[in-house]
Amino acid sequence: MSTVDDTIKIKEVVISRNKFNAGQSGYKKTTIDSSVLFNYSNSNLSEMLSENTDIFIKSYGMGGTATPSFRGTGASHVLVDWNGININSPMLGQSDLSLIPVGLIDDVQIYFGGASMSLNDGGIGGTINLETKPVWKKETLISLNSGAGSFGQYWGLMNVKTGTCKFQTVTKGYFQNSENNFRYLNTEISSEPVWQTRTNSQVRQKGFIQELYLRNTNNIASVRIWYQSADRNLPASLLTPPNSGENQFDESLRTMLNYDALKGSSNFSFTGAWMLSRLNYFNHLASIDSRNLSEILTLKAGVENPVGAYAKLKIVLDEKSSVVKSNNYNHNTTRNTASLTASIDRKGDRFGTTILLRAILDNNTFLIPDFSTGVQFRLLNDKEYYFKANISRNSKIPSMNDMFWVPGGNHDLKNEYALIYEISYEMNQKISNPLNLKYDLSVFRYNIKDMIQWHPGEYSYWTADNIANVNSTGGESSVSLDYIHNNINSSLKAGYSFTRVIAVGSKNENDNSVGKQLMYMPENQANASFRIGFKNIYSSWVVNFNGIRYITVDNSKYLPGYFINNLSTGLKFTLKGSSIDMNFNIDNLFNINYQSIAYYPLPGRSYIVKILVQIIK
Amino acid sequence: MNNLVKIGILLLVVVSCSKTPDFPNIDYSLSGGVFVVNEGNFRSGNGSLSFYSYDSTKIYNDLFYSVNGRPLGDVPNSMAIKGDKAYIIVNNSGKIEVMDQSTLKSTATISGLISPRNISFVNDYKAYVSSLYSDSVIVINLIDNSIAGYINLRRSSESIAVAGNKAFISNWAGGNEIMVINTFYDQVVDSIEVGIEPESMAFDRNGMLWVLCNGGWTRQNYAELIEINPVSNSIEQKIVFPSKEASPTCLKIDVFGEILYYLDNGVREMDIKSTDLPSAPFIIPESGQYFYKIGINPLNNDILVTDAVDFVQQGYLLLYDYTGKFISKQKAGIIPGSMCFKLSINS
Repeated sequence: MSTVDDTIKIKEVVISRNKFNAGQSGYKKTTIDSSVLFNYSNSNLSEMLSENTDIFIKSYGMGGTATPSFRGTGASHVLVDWNGININSPMLGQSDLSLIPVGLIDDVQIYFGGASMSLNDGGIGGTINLETKPVWKKETLISLNSGAGSFGQYWGLMNVKTGTCKFQTVTKGYFQNSENNFRYLNTEISSEPVWQTRTNSQVRQKGFIQELYLRNTNNIASVRIWYQSADRNLPASLLTPPNSGENQFDESLRTMLNYDALKGSSNFSFTGAWMLSRLNYFNHLASIDSRNLSEILTLKAGVENPVGAYAKLKIVLDEKSSVVKSNNYNHNTTRNTASLTASIDRKGDRFGTTILLRAILDNNTFLIPDFSTGVQFRLLNDKEYYFKANISRNSKIPSMNDMFWVPGGNHDLKNEYALIYEISYEMNQKISNPLNLKYDLSVFRYNIKDMIQWHPGEYSYWTADNIANVNSTGGESSVSLDYIHNNINSSLKAGYSFTRVIAVGSKNENDNSVGKQLMYMPENQANASFRIGFKNIYSSWVVNFNGIRYITVDNSKYLPGYFINNLSTGLKFTLKGSSIDMNFNIDNLFNINYQSIAYYPLPGRSYIVKILVQIIK
Repeated sequence: MNNLVKIGILLLVVVSCSKTPDFPNIDYSLSGGVFVVNEGNFRSGNGSLSFYSYDSTKIYNDLFYSVNGRPLGDVPNSMAIKGDKAYIIVNNSGKIEVMDQSTLKSTATISGLISPRNISFVNDYKAYVSSLYSDSVIVINLIDNSIAGYINLRRSSESIAVAGNKAFISNWAGGNEIMVINTFYDQVVDSIEVGIEPESMAFDRNGMLWVLCNGGWTRQNYAELIEINPVSNSIEQKIVFPSKEASPTCLKIDVFGEILYYLDNGVREMDIKSTDLPSAPFIIPESGQYFYKIGINPLNNDILVTDAVDFVQQGYLLLYDYTGKFISKQKAGIIPGSMCFKLSINS
């Protein structure tokens, strides 16, 4: 744990809460490098995650929606949190990662499988936690990041962090516009491929974050506000008329009040959050005018106490109230859920263990309690070689659309739940003074029960039901080599994942999907990157691979796999702590023609120039 | 009737022997049989065309792609044959693929249509195409494969039935009318108020038009089967289904124009002289089957049913003889839907 000299005590208060969440014994959690976040500061979260992690992003391309998939689970099984508070849409039960600009986020943490239970319930696949935070220094940091690139994209991002060791204010604002009018090779419209230009895919985004932090010796309080809007035309499939006039307007206002206190040896934490989301969808051709407004009030209180010399007991009460006003529901609809979580984490010198129990009250019904337990063993006293294992049961309450959408919503849906098994090995070894090696290997098994799917009902419309059981089995491995010496700073990273996710146990004897890989779930994924900096010059090369993805449930058809290479280089000049950073990116270096979703083309080679000016006083 | 069935089968055999089109890379004979339009999933582009050959008793899938080297489009809805041309209406691609019916080679694509659903031929030069999301019927010039005009109904359209110089067009989605068009002037001349959501229509041997009104998806109204006199545009008979839960679809009639067939928890049959609805299905789906569309072979009265299974995986074409006896089951494409008989009475 890192500490800062002049803030030792309070730093312990803040970090220990996060550390407790982040580092529970026996679980896998990764953090995205800050250098990666900078490289993608003009991008959205989906692009950054798809090119640098094992998370598969199902993307409709520039301007379209993008949703995550962890280890073969669906988008609604992945939580996106903002400082530990879930921001998934209560209607859809998922988050559109194309709407989250990386430039607004200070830190991205990924919790795999059972690890996500330390933050919230429902993240069967995992959780992506987005952190925004101050720098507790008596200084003013102003950064301006702007740039432009191919396909009519240009953006500006401003970040001001200022204050003292007791008070900090953080202000961030951004805008981002893109025409997304890239050229692509249409192989579907005729037997001979034809070059065409993407239309109806313009995006206009803007937003800001304002945060205030106040602390004294044993207390810290914060207020956060995050507003953003996105107005975008939705591009059509290659097989449908290009100018269908589909448009989607997303707007969200998220507010959060947080108070942490250290009383004796106990850490108390209270968070209140109110979030409003608007999603309006228009389809002029189909005469659809869908208007949806949701509000969520979350209250979360916790206390953490040491138990003996090595263990900590944490109890968290989480209350969430959701209201949806939609012209697709019969009436305004509310839902209340509450959960009580008790966890104990023991970390010895070499052996650690975690036990977590959670009870959930959904409206007036108690659900079958969830649990998670993990163990961790340090193989050698003087080496960072860890063996980890965990078993979890995690429930997910149906989304409100699953229950109340008209037509087809099903009030009688049961919760989905998963039994999760994971074993991993992690090591971190200094090979020589400038050279450091990290390696990890994980294998996992998910048995997902009562998975909700929409299927045709009796009256010519689709309805939601608990009809599928799914097993996901696989493994992930990554290795990184860092070399830091004199003026050279370099890192080499590589990762590979294999996921076999199949439907099991159908009641339908005609069901040919049993035992087949689920659609749009790649079995094989890999990524690699090489970053090097020498004095004020730096460069990076990132390659991402997605294997074939089946587009039919019987696996009779598939999209081919693809390698995408991105190249970035820049110059950084520093003067008295302030800096100017000029960067040039080439995305999709080899101009690969590819699709993440069938018949939705993704852009070929593109160029981006950006400049970051950072002033520190 | 038995003789007619035999003649029909004989005709199929004769035609199948006489024609063996040459398709590169396709080892089958497009003899007498039935095309199945597999709708595929909305926006997934996995619709396709299948053909079941009575000659080989085999089904041939993905024919359009095999012949033309490109996907058929998004949500093909229906198909019709006129002379040596076959027309596939591709709903969410807003187009009609015009093909040589023997080779299935696309000869033209009529694009720019708004959500087209079904086609009906007025004469050798003109066809009407219904539209779900526009308020007009599209007039197609069959000579140069172009859009010749629009007939404004001020409401959406679905099923089309042409008799003499009249076309009867059902206002299905949320509607309750049959619009009557003078096919010489392409003008609306009358409308007939029927039940909620008239979905499908068929002419009987007496020239009477039968209209199946589904009742709407909200199940707030009763489904109705209505007999219309197409000369006077008046309702002769209205049969109301006994329960709001009944959701009948896909009205068809046998080759003699005497027996009506429709889907309602199975295949039901009803004599046109009857005033009572059948109390039980004639053919009952087995567990795991989802009867989606039916077709009646115009030559031998075979009953063909498409089984959409779960609307995600490949479905089946189920063949029964006119007594309801099961003949065979063929694996088709995703959401096998409407059928088009080669040697149909339209051709």
